[in-house]
This record gives sequence, structure tokens and C-alpha cells, in this order.
Amino acid sequence: MKHLSRQILALSRLSVLDLYRRKDLAVVFVLSGVILTPLFFFTPFGMSAASRYTNELAMLLVWLFSAVIGLGVASRLFPPEFNSRTIYPLLSKPVSRGTVLVGKYLGALAASLSALAIFYVAYGVLAGTRQGVWFPPVLWQALLLHAGFMVVITALSLLGSLALTVSANLTLCGLVTAGMLVFGQRLVSMAADQPAPGRWALYAIHWIAPHLEFFDMRQRLVHEWPPISWGVCGAVWLYALCYAAACLALAAVIFRRKKF
Amino acid sequence: MDVVKMEGVVKAFGTVRAVDKLSLTVRQGEIMGFLGTNGAGKTTTIKMLLGFFRPDKGRVEVLGGDPCVPSTRAKIGFMPEAAYYYPFLNVRDLLEFYGGLCGMARNAVKRRSEELIARVGLSEAGKKPLRSYSKGMLQRAGIAQALLHDPDLLILDEPFTGLDPLARINLRDLIIDLRRQGKTVFFSSHELSEAELICDRVAIIKRGALVSCGSVQELAGDGERNLERVFLKVLEVDADTHGGGR
Repeated sequence: MKHLSRQILALSRLSVLDLYRRKDLAVVFVLSGVILTPLFFFTPFGMSAASRYTNELAMLLVWLFSAVIGLGVASRLFPPEFNSRTIYPLLSKPVSRGTVLVGKYLGALAASLSALAIFYVAYGVLAGTRQGVWFPPVLWQALLLHAGFMVVITALSLLGSLALTVSANLTLCGLVTAGMLVFGQRLVSMAADQPAPGRWALYAIHWIAPHLEFFDMRQRLVHEWPPISWGVCGAVWLYALCYAAACLALAAVIFRRKKF
Repeated sequence: MDVVKMEGVVKAFGTVRAVDKLSLTVRQGEIMGFLGTNGAGKTTTIKMLLGFFRPDKGRVEVLGGDPCVPSTRAKIGFMPEAAYYYPFLNVRDLLEFYGGLCGMARNAVKRRSEELIARVGLSEAGKKPLRSYSKGMLQRAGIAQALLHDPDLLILDEPFTGLDPLARINLRDLIIDLRRQGKTVFFSSHELSEAELICDRVAIIKRGALVSCGSVQELAGDGERNLERVFLKVLEVDADTHGGGR
């Protein structure tokens, strides 16, 4: 057990170091700081009530940057290992392919969640400064569900990283993420309006693609609506864990069969 | 005792037989050179020894176990040909990572890392990221990671490629020193002169099949002492046997 935990820790640490020693994360942080800070000191049309729209814009940026980080980190988990041949010394060590997969996934998740926490702390401080309400329960719920979103998209991107190049994987996962956030809730009603082949395609997407809209608490947070029940939060997290487990199981099958 | 045992091993990729009925043994404490031209099947054989994939036919046994089982690999050290290790790490981070994969405690990794970094001559470059390393320096970092967990069997894929003369001499001394410690070294190479200098036995492979195996002296039965000539002779004999090749 000690042996296994050391292996998983080593693999996870590698993913975290990869994220933090690259310059692109620093760029994302600086960019978000440059965009978010002025937004919070700007009162649209001199109406304080309209400031919630700047909050909405800020949250949109937090979602965008966190998705870019989550997908970016996970999509780079395997292709560089194959291209630079580091997969050979890695697999020559007494480590199973399942452990490699889990360790890398946990590392990507830890790296993405640490970046997400920084974004939410920045948002919480800036929103608190402006509105005088510091870290309300709905913000914690939004962070919790956003973390669930990261659990799903990193697993999805890891699955893609075993079969696709970094750019192809990023494009595909980016489209799925954006598409499901925008259309996920309306897929069934859209399917009902379509003729037969299109209808079945939309139903297939409805059942196969991850329902990322479940994790989106932006409206509730921005408009200061009350939090949802913790039971619903738990159910959504259960969905995230099941979806991520399915992605990892499929990734394990692909990785086990992969010839290097 | 045989550290490596391969019996009638066949591995095909599509219609191409990369390894063809290969039977080979490597004894404990010997240095064995695995020689062949490009595409002869050397790397495929090494990959099977490391359990990256199973043979289609035949049996592979390493240190008395199945190399596909992780615990068997605990006593194998491997250095691949021209790996470009994680560019954002320095050599200490790299060894800490591989030490973790071997299940080593952090203190043990640190102690062993310092010893190996000095041994392969990377002390001065210890804090520099690997992206700034030359090919030869990466090769030396590769040797350090292969030796980190004190393996009984060291498998090296083209270890002399890209090394300057001084680094070659150091690697040669290191391999001989490992034999002195009772370790077994199996390496593939094109560098016949290096193999001739250090190998107890050599195995020559052509189109996946073993064409000759023994000490340089045994292979040169007619008194010929140069491995290069032996290599050419053995391949010619094989070409004659097969009517000029398949």
C-alpha cells in the first residue's frame, strides 16, 4: 500500500510540476487578474444593481480559464510521453498501467483544482470587497460543483489524450464542453423537433455526452439566489464520479491494449 | 543461473515478423551484447523483455518471472535509446520521480540520486532543467535513472549512441564495474568496437532470428579476432543459407 501511494504521489507530482513550471499558467493568472480586477471596480451606467452583470462576466471568465486549464493539463498527460519516448522508462518501472493512469489523472485533477481554488478566492475577495458579503454559502456550493465539473472534463480529456494528439483532443473536448454547457439542458426538446436521423443523434448525445450544465451555478451566484439543497449537490457529485469512473475505465482498456 | 530466458519467441506486427523463433539465454553476472542491423528486431526483443507486450508465441522469463508482472520489473533497470526526459524537471527531480515509481522512500532516493549524479558526471548540471541538456547529458541522466533502484539486470538500448569519447569510456567502465558487482548487463548496439571491448558474449540477430551467439573468440572459430569481421561473416553465412535473404 505504501509502495502504491508513493507511485501515485510521484505521478501526480509530475503533472502538478508540469502545470506550474510552464509559463502558460502564469499567463492565465496574469490575464485573469488584469481582466477581473478592473471589472470589480466598474459600475455600469452608475447603477450599483447593474454590477451583477460584471460579476456574471467575471464568472464566465473563471469558467473559461478553468476549462482551458483542466482540458489543457489533461490533454498533455500522454502524448508528450509517447512523442519523447519517456513512456518506456516509465513502464519499465515496477508500476502497473492502471496505477500510471490513476496517478496521472489525480495529478491533472490536483493541478486543475489548485488553479480553480485560486480563481474562486480571487472572485470571493473581489466580490466581498464590493458587496460586503464575504464567501456566502452559495459561493462554496458553486466552487464545489465547479470542482465536480473539473472531475468530469479532466477524465474526458485524459481519455482523449490516449488516442488523439494534444490539439485534436483539446478541440474535441472544448467543443463538447462548450456545447454541453450551452445546449445540454435543451437537447431533449431540440431532439423532439427534429426528423428521425437527427433526433436519434441528439438523443445519443443526450445519453453519452457529459451533462456539464448540472455543475453551472453562475446564475444563482451572480443574482445572489439562495443555495440549492446539499442533497442535490451530492447527487450531482455522484454523477461526476460515475462519469469520470466510466471515462477512466475506458481509458484503462485502451491503455492496456496500446502497443508502444 | 539464467537471468533471461527466451524460448521460441515470435512477435509479428501485421504481416511482418519482427522476432522469429528467437531462443536466447543471458547468464547471471555477464555482459551480453545484442547486435544486429537496423530493423533486425533488437528493440522489439527488448520491449518483450520489459513486458511492454507479450510474444505471439514462445516464452519470455526474466529473473525467474513474467516481465509483464510489475513486481518482476522491480529488479530490472532500463535505459531507452534517445529518450527526451521531462524538459521542465532537473535531474534530481527526474530521479525523485523514478524513485517514487520504484516505491523508494524519499531519503533513500535523495541519497542514491546524489551518488549516481556524481557517478555519471552531472553534478554541475544538477539544477539545470533537462531542456538545456545535450543528447549525451540526457543519455547520462538515462543511465542514472536505470541504476536508481539498484537493479540486478540492466537492459540498455543503444547506450553508446550520442556519447562523446570521454562519456563512452565512463559508460564502459560503469558497465564493467556493474559486472564486478555481480549485475547482469544486456545491451543492444551498433557499436561493434564497444561490444568487442566489454562483452562476455554477443548474440547476433538478423530479421528477427538469432543467427549466432557466443563469445567473440567462439564466433571467430578460424582465429579471426575482430567483431566487425565476425559480424559481417555471420550475416553473410546467413545470407548464403537463405539464398541471399528473404
